Formats: sequence, structure tokens, C-alpha cells
Amino acid sequence: MSVQTQIALQNALNGLLIGGTYATVALGFSLVWGILNVVNLAHGALVMLGAYTTYWLFTLFGVDPFLSLPLTGAALFVFGYCVQRGIINQVMRAPFLITFLLTFGLELLITNIAQAAWTADFRSVTTVYSGRSLSVGPLTLPIVRGASLLIAFVVAILLHVLLTRTRLGTAIRATASDQEAARLMGIPIARVYAITFGIAAASAGVAGGLISLSFPVFPAMGAGYTLIGFVVCVLGGLGSVPGALLGGLLLGLLQTYAASWLGPNYDNIVAFSALILVLLVRPAGLLGRVQRFRG
Amino acid sequence: MPLFSGLGLVKLFGRVVAVDRVDLTIEPGEIVGLIGPNGAGKSTLVNLITGLEHPTEGRLEFAGHALAGLPPPVIARLGIARTFQIAQPFRNMTVRQNVAVPALFRADPAPDVRAALRDADVVLDTVGLGPKRDLPARALTTPDLRRLELAKALALHPRLMLLDEVMAGLTPAEVDQAMSLLREVHARGIALLVIEHVLRAVMGLCRRVIVLHHGRKIAEGAPAQVTADAAVIQAYLGARSLPSTP
Amino acid sequence: MTAGGGRVWAGAGRAVFAATAVFALIFPLLAGTYYVRLATGIYMFGLLASAWNLIGGYTGYPDFGGAAYLGIGAYTTGILMVRAHTPFGAALGAGCLLAAVVAVLMGSLLLRLRGHYFAIATLGFLLVLQQLAANLDITGGGSGMNLPVASTFTTFYYWMLGALVLAVAAGWALPRVRVGYALAAIRENQDAAQVLGITPLPFKIIAYAGNALLFGAAGGIYAYWFTFIDPPTVFNVDFTIQAVVMTLFGGPGTAAGPVVGAVILKSLDTVLTNRSVFFHNIFFGALVCVLVIFAPRGVAEIARTRGSLLRAVRAELGASRL
Repeated sequence: MSVQTQIALQNALNGLLIGGTYATVALGFSLVWGILNVVNLAHGALVMLGAYTTYWLFTLFGVDPFLSLPLTGAALFVFGYCVQRGIINQVMRAPFLITFLLTFGLELLITNIAQAAWTADFRSVTTVYSGRSLSVGPLTLPIVRGASLLIAFVVAILLHVLLTRTRLGTAIRATASDQEAARLMGIPIARVYAITFGIAAASAGVAGGLISLSFPVFPAMGAGYTLIGFVVCVLGGLGSVPGALLGGLLLGLLQTYAASWLGPNYDNIVAFSALILVLLVRPAGLLGRVQRFRG
Repeated sequence: MPLFSGLGLVKLFGRVVAVDRVDLTIEPGEIVGLIGPNGAGKSTLVNLITGLEHPTEGRLEFAGHALAGLPPPVIARLGIARTFQIAQPFRNMTVRQNVAVPALFRADPAPDVRAALRDADVVLDTVGLGPKRDLPARALTTPDLRRLELAKALALHPRLMLLDEVMAGLTPAEVDQAMSLLREVHARGIALLVIEHVLRAVMGLCRRVIVLHHGRKIAEGAPAQVTADAAVIQAYLGARSLPSTP
Repeated sequence: MTAGGGRVWAGAGRAVFAATAVFALIFPLLAGTYYVRLATGIYMFGLLASAWNLIGGYTGYPDFGGAAYLGIGAYTTGILMVRAHTPFGAALGAGCLLAAVVAVLMGSLLLRLRGHYFAIATLGFLLVLQQLAANLDITGGGSGMNLPVASTFTTFYYWMLGALVLAVAAGWALPRVRVGYALAAIRENQDAAQVLGITPLPFKIIAYAGNALLFGAAGGIYAYWFTFIDPPTVFNVDFTIQAVVMTLFGGPGTAAGPVVGAVILKSLDTVLTNRSVFFHNIFFGALVCVLVIFAPRGVAEIARTRGSLLRAVRAELGASRL
């Protein structure tokens, strides 16, 4: 095959691989936005905490980063549950600008405390297999990224099953659909919200863990991932697991091709122009339902 | 020539037929009643007339203007005002300021804010909200909120007013007050389309009544005639006679 | 526009106002450079907060991309002064004009969105401009650009003060004019506003463009003041975040609220930043959290409530908590 085709295909592969990471990051963000109607500006900070958890488990105790993912997820679940129950819950009925600002404040706190605790130095998680790649025909597939993509799918499937086939999932969706009705039916909505946020934090943590294998870990790394969460949700639609997957992969492809054609300094321009375009043309996103917003 | 005419109106929401080939005309200065069981399509019809929804089929004309595709503000300025079933006040503005808004944005607007506020005062006195003019709208009781809705509609200088269940939840005494207020409004030459469940009001105010059921017009005529119509009784109750009115 | 406001301008109020005005005008003659700089910084944030309040607080459209116009103002001023040797005043004017024009164009698209979507779209626009500025030659790309140095510092003090007065005047006048009534109605209930004869988009554009013009003014003055600008510094969402927090702190319901918030928070901020950036961020983050939970309608609203502060706070919690 020609060099052109090869480059195009490699770009497609790279785009999908990075897109898988984006999707995992965005899953939790979409969940919180779609179910709690909260735009969680601290989501990236949760990703960052997940990355550090994986890092420390690896550096201090030698736990393999892929194996420690469930631990990271559990730790972030507890953290997220407490944060929602204790703090965000106080403003669930306030106009959305308020919750926007609250999560922004939380982001500042978490990021700065992390910086005070762990310094701004870049860390990375490097294992024996970190640099290795597979050859798939003429294409190169880094093992770590390939595994991350697989895990992204696994997490998405788990989340989807949780939401659609368990009692908890039904309770969550009912609460999102009509809070008052859910409350009247005896669903403990404060707890449901806290659990949902916990799940979202857990998936953010897992995303962070995966990210730590391929990218540098530092306290301020979160902001970029929150933005990615935004773009993916707008592209793929809110409150939709397949939407987050689709949106993530799409964004990954968009950015990779843009970088390839226009150069690396156009990634934000492309991403956010796409975002604005989608918002104007199809605000519900490619797979989303029309979202009732508050305020 | 009728003031308002809607011909062959159809509105589909997906596969749900909310309005099914309805014809509706209103002469200048007429009071027409629109009744029907819940879900009959009355509010949808109002939304079609005011431009909040677009008809799937059919033509709408008001005072010689075709309404098709016009946005709600333009239709409002042409002279069609409406009240909402669930009152929609500007909660954090005073009662007076609420009424000043339509005074500023109607087709023949007040020249400035001060004039609009004076205008509002006059209208508020008409509906009996004068003493409460400086209260924030969120502090009003339900009957007062209805009056406010009416005041805002009046301040628009409309030629046709669509009154969407203004009597709902009012006590009999309050219904009487509302009816006399509506008669005053009508006396100014404003045509009224009264959408109601409170039949006493419909009987007392309207010369002509239209009955909607499942989106279709099933009867039209004088109130006494319509309420005795078998199809109408069937639609409401599946029984032999209408209940005595509240 | 809230019911009951307007008692402020009683006789005593006018005297205080006049005294403050005179004080502000002669301040540079009285105080040292450090304090003049501090005051200029406070004016800048008072300006940004008041400007944001026009579109965010008063109209209810929370714009998070205001810094896009700050950047446009900054770079236009810079480019004209450096390449066309335009005097500052004219360059600043051009910057404001360009910001307003771009705002009218972007606003006609973005203002059709609501709530969260509007907020992200404006932020997206900001980030696009930031990266664009880093890629173009005329802006000096990622290395930024230098502006000519001004002869005296007090120039900036007065320019910023002037722009602040403009912003506050706009905020004061708005509830009293026809446009203000339209915007208030749109904020309260856009659908109800429409059936009363208001076509929302043109009015929203006016508020948005007003905000853009003022942010542009702030940007142009900032650029000349700091003599160096680069994309991450001027196209920075932090300006808006601070403006929003200051407005919320002081209360979005009055013209003075945002300025009060700016004065208090910027002063505190300066004191703390002198300790360390970390301190500043922690303080700010904690402040935001505490503020939005306990006093979302601003300290001014709490001060206005009769009865104890505690009761007011409890009422807020009760209303917002799940």
C-alpha cells in the first residue's frame, strides 16, 4: 500500500487509541452532567487524583498499574461519594451557575493541595512493557495504548450494563428523569446522586490510571481533561454511554488528523470549532436526547 | 371578515395527533368559548395560534396577516395576547414592572419607561392590582397572579385575547369577579377566546362555544345547545348529563 | 432589577458618592506608586465584574469567554501602536470597536444557545482565539508582543478609572431603560417575554456587545500597562472567573455590587498573593466554595436581609440543598 494510505491508516489508529482515552475521561463527566445536571469542572482533578493514585501504588508498593485500576477506582469512588454528599449536595437546587462555580472552587482546592503535597514535578509510570509495540500489518500499535482502548470499552460496557440492567441503574435513571417523582417513589435521591458521582469519580480515576502510563502526571494536568470531557459530551450527546464512546473516538480522530494536516498547534482550534458547530447545528449531540437544562 | 381564522389545522407530535383538522374563526369583538376534556388539544391550539408551535398543516390568518412561520413576538405585536395556564410572571420584577414590559414592546409602544409605568398603573387599577403594584411578582397569590397575567395581556393592546383556563382553582366568588372583569375587557372591543373547564363561566360569557375532543372539533354552537349535545356529554363523561358546574 | 432598590440615592448617598469621586480623581497625587498600581488593578477587576454582570448577572447568560474580547482589545491596541504608530487613545478605541463588532457577529450565533451550552460555547470561542493568536505572525505568535512604554504610570490609572465609570454607569442605567426591561424579562422568563412582543436576540446581542466592548477596553489598557502580552496571559478564562466570583460576592442585583466585590476580593487577593501563589489559590478556591454554598446571592443580599446573618444563611441552604 502507498505511503499516503499508510499514514492515513496510522493516523486513524492513533486517533482511535487516543479517542479511547478521551472516551473514558468523558464517561464520568457525561454521567454527572446528564444525571445530576452538574457540570463538574473538577472532573479533570479527579482524573489527576486517579493518575497519582496509580503512580504511588506503583512507585511505593510496586503494584502493576493495570492491576491497581480497581483499587484506584474504589478509592476515587469513596472520595467522589463524600464530596458529592457533603459539598455538592448543598447546592443541587441552586441555579446552575452556582454549581458551576462550586466545582470550579473544588478544582482549585484539589489541584493546589495536590501541588503542595506532591510538588509540580512531572511523574510518569514506566513499566517493563511501557515502550513496546505490536506490529499490525504496516501499522504500529503501542501495547499500553491498545490495552487502554480495550479497558475503555470494558468500562463503557460495565457502565452501560449498570445503568440499564440493575436496580441501581434504574433508580439513577429515574432520578435523572424526574427527581420529584423518584423521591415520591421512595428512591433516596441524595444517596443516588452521591453514588452516581462516586461512579463517575471512579471512572475518572481509572482514566487517570490509564493516562499515567502514556502521559506525564502533574497536579495541573486535569484542566485539559475537563475540557475534553466537555467537547466529547457535546459531540456525542449527554447522558449516553455510547455517545461518550462515539464522541471520544470522534474527537480523537479529529485531533489526530488536524495535527497531521495543520500541525500540532491547531488541536484546540479544531476541537472547539467542532464543538461550536455541533452546538449550533445539533445541540443534543450526535446520539444524545434533548437535554432539559436548569436556569 | 373574521378577525381570526384557522383552517384545516393539524398538529402532529411524532405519531400523536394533537390537533386534527380543526377550523376556527373568531369575529371582531366576539367571545368564543373553547372547551373539551383534558388532553383534547386546547392548549396546543393556543400554542399554534401564538406561534409557540408550528402547525403541521393548515392556515392561520389574523387581521389579514398570514401567521404561518411568524415568531411569537411578531404575532404578539400584531395584536394577539395570551395568558398561560400556569402563570408566567417575571418573578423578580415588581408587578408594575411586569406590566410595563408589554407596554414597551407592543406595536404602539409607550415612548419611554416612565410612560410605560404610568400605562401599567392604569391597567393594574383596571384589574384590581393597584395597591400591590410595588410588590415583587413572586410575592403574589394565585388569583393575583392570574390578574397579573390578564394585566400583561391587556397592556399589549391586543385585538384578540386567548385566555387559557384563567378560572382554574378559583372560588365561586372569585369566578364571579373574573367574569365581570372579562366583560369589562370585552367591552373595549377585544375579542376573547375563553378556554375553560369552569362551565358556568363559559355559559355566562360566551356567545358561541366550540368543543374539542381528541384534537377534533365535535360540536359548535350556542352554549345551551352544545352542552346538551349527546356527543359532547359522551366525550366528557360517557354518561347522560353534564355535572352541575362548580 | 430587583424590587425596592433605588433607596440608595438618598441625600447621604449622593454626598458619599461625590466624596468618593473626588478622592478617586486626586488619589495619584496623594498615594505612592504601589497603591496607585493596586488601585488600577482593582479598577480593572471592577470593570470586568461590572461588564460581566451586564450579560451574565442581569441578562442571565453566563458568558465564560469574555477574555476573548479582552485579548482582541489587547492585541488590536498593541498591533496598531507598534506597527501603525497609532497613539494609545485611538488604538484603544479601535480595539473596543473591533471587540464589539466581533461580539455582534459571534453573539448572533452563540446567544441562540442557553445555559450550560452557551457557557461552554463561549469558552470554546476563547480557546480558539487563544490558539489562533499563538499561531499568527501579526500577533507575534506564541512569543507574544511588546508595546511601547508609557511616560508616566498615572495614565493607566485614569484610563482604567474612566472605563470603570463607563461600566458602572451602564450597569446603573440599564434597569431604567427600555433595553433593560427587555433583558430583565428575558432573564426571568424568555418564553413569556416573547409572547409579550420581545424578540430576544437583538437585545441579548446588545448586552453581549456591551460586555465585549468593556472587556476590550480593559484589554487595551492592560496591554499598554504591562507592555507585554502573549496569548495565554490575555486569552485567559481566569479574568472571567474572577469577575464572576466578585460579582457574586458583591451581589449581581445592583450596579455597585460587582465593584464592591472587586474591591474587597482584589485587596484580599493582593495581600495573600504576597505570601504565595499557593495561598492565593487555596484561599480563592475555598472562598468560592463557601460563597456559593452559603451566600449565592452575594454578601450584599445578606447584608440587606433583616434579622441575623445566620438565619439568612440557613435560608439559603434550605433553598438550595437537596
